[in-house]
Amino acid sequence: MKRMLSFLAAAALLCAPAAVPAEDTEEIETVVTVVSAPDQTQAERPPCFPDPSDNFIQLPDTENYALHKPVTAGAHTDVYVIGNVNDGKTDTYWESKGWPAEATIDLQGTFTVSAVAVCLNPSSIWEPRTQEIAVWISADGETFTEIVPAAKYGFDAETGNRIRIDFESVDAAFVRLVFTMSTASRTGGAQAAEICVY
Amino acid sequence: MKKTLPFLIAVLVLAWMTALLPVSAGAEPAKTMLTLYEGPKTMTSSQTASVTANGYDLFVYDVMVNHEHIWNADTQPTTTPMTYFDFDGKVRLEIRMPGLEHPVENAEVIPRSWGITPEVADGTVRFTITEPGQYTVVFNGSVHRALHIFANPPETDLPDFGDPDVFYIGPGEWVMDAIALHDGQTLYLSGGAVLHSMISVANAKNVRICGRGIIDGSDYPAWNQPGSYARVPVDLNHSRDVSVEGIIIANSNCWNLNSYSSRNVRIDNVKIISGRQNGDGFTFQSCTDHLVTNCFARTWDDSLVIKNYSGSTKGITFRGMQVWTDLAQSMEIGYETDKGLTLDPEICDVLFEDITVLYNFHKPVISIHNSDDAFVHDIVYRNIVVENAFMQGDNGNNKELIEMTLANSSWSTVRDEFGSIDNVLIDGLTVLNTPDGKVPRSRLAGHDEEHRITNVTLRNVTILGQPVTTLKEMKLSVDDYCENIGIR
Repeated sequence: MKRMLSFLAAAALLCAPAAVPAEDTEEIETVVTVVSAPDQTQAERPPCFPDPSDNFIQLPDTENYALHKPVTAGAHTDVYVIGNVNDGKTDTYWESKGWPAEATIDLQGTFTVSAVAVCLNPSSIWEPRTQEIAVWISADGETFTEIVPAAKYGFDAETGNRIRIDFESVDAAFVRLVFTMSTASRTGGAQAAEICVY
Repeated sequence: MKKTLPFLIAVLVLAWMTALLPVSAGAEPAKTMLTLYEGPKTMTSSQTASVTANGYDLFVYDVMVNHEHIWNADTQPTTTPMTYFDFDGKVRLEIRMPGLEHPVENAEVIPRSWGITPEVADGTVRFTITEPGQYTVVFNGSVHRALHIFANPPETDLPDFGDPDVFYIGPGEWVMDAIALHDGQTLYLSGGAVLHSMISVANAKNVRICGRGIIDGSDYPAWNQPGSYARVPVDLNHSRDVSVEGIIIANSNCWNLNSYSSRNVRIDNVKIISGRQNGDGFTFQSCTDHLVTNCFARTWDDSLVIKNYSGSTKGITFRGMQVWTDLAQSMEIGYETDKGLTLDPEICDVLFEDITVLYNFHKPVISIHNSDDAFVHDIVYRNIVVENAFMQGDNGNNKELIEMTLANSSWSTVRDEFGSIDNVLIDGLTVLNTPDGKVPRSRLAGHDEEHRITNVTLRNVTILGQPVTTLKEMKLSVDDYCENIGIR
């Protein structure tokens, strides 16, 4: 028994210190899977998300009379000022502070108009929502006439996050959109990245 | 007795040898399963660090971090290297750091709980890992260019890629303005993918985001810069039954994984590194039933944060997290606790468990800033280890280890009413290192007789190796509007 113990102890002592450096230097048998990258020269759109722009609501290809013209509104939320609605950029936007929300554009002249468009940021993170909008016009900026009564319009990134309101041609020097409702979950007011008048 | 002792020794020796058998008796060692991900061919591996795993090169990314430990609206981030792979078995890592000013002379692997002492020779750092997890290597005693290694477990429960509701984004560099996921949809972001985009889950249920890839915001200016806006990498909004697993979020231009008025959310093994303005990590507002496990957050703003924006918060658990806070707080409740001006707002049933704070460089590690009128109660912090409590505060203020307050702040929505804090347990708090070798201060401050902090218990607190059993030893100040504050 004594011999056996001595043998075991010796074996253990031999094995134990040997195990530590062996771990440090041994080649670890490894089964490797390398996930290869495709040949690319630039970042691309993921193939699983086809470009939806073919489905976008088309806007008139005529002049947008509202672009960069004077525009006024009531109180706005945070930094989202009314001037963003006709700066030509859909990545800036106006957000009113409460309801109803009026945005009035001075076209700086009388034009024959037949459509307005309201655009949100086309990004799909802008959740689908409905906004209720009416269209009013004026010749002098004082007296306004409703030409399209309030109706609900759906905004969806699948169709460009934009809506188009067509109406009978009419002369106008001022165009006012009156927003009365939105179903968006994180806003307390109207939102528009661009308001266009054609 | 004489006969028993040799027998016991023999049994012990045999047991020891049995444990060594796989190595010493020539048994077939288990093979290591290692999955490596090539980086996109549009990108090059970091010039700062090179890393091999069992001799195979890893692609190393340089990601934004920030060593400016005070708020700066125009801050400029720097970068640090990060790499990742999946494995089961044993991986020998070899690291070289050609991007350092000086050759590597020493290195530390954190968290310390891994118990790893790396070998450093000829500027190369070597160590072996046997458990999946998050490893950070600090070189030459400096946190600059620390290497983050995300050693994932092998992927399991892969989605059915034939399902039309499963979107597969493979390896490579991808860009898309945003991705909106709807009911029942899954987004799989493969390892090796770098996706410049943001993922929105709004008014949706049964949504899954998984994979090993990176959501990257480096294409976009910081959200507060002119013409920019917040592009939240993962944004859950009024949604439920959502899981986020395995991905990395880096270089965000704002906060990172945001959940707003959502419920039943599971987040596991998500790694966040941020270095730009308001780069909060896991940030939940008015949420219920969120479980966050095995995640990593190195952030340039609050790392783990709970607020009320449109209602109450209930049932939030963070478990098994690693946190590195370059700015603001590590585990923050507040400041906004009733931004939505709701009736009887609450934040309750919150658990922070098994949290390792690798570094906190700025503001309190544990904080409840009830700066509106909510009732904050039943909050538990269990087994919190702070490896480096380096809170410098702002001009000497807000550098406590623990801070709980009922006071207005610049983030308050409610100005004329106040809330309360009740029933907070801190069970197991260990601080391993402080810059001056002293116990950091802590502070509890109520507001008035009706708005108090009550029933706060600390136990099993050890700071710098010493058990702390009194408020004085804890350097915990308590004002007249606190009641039943104890430590044992």
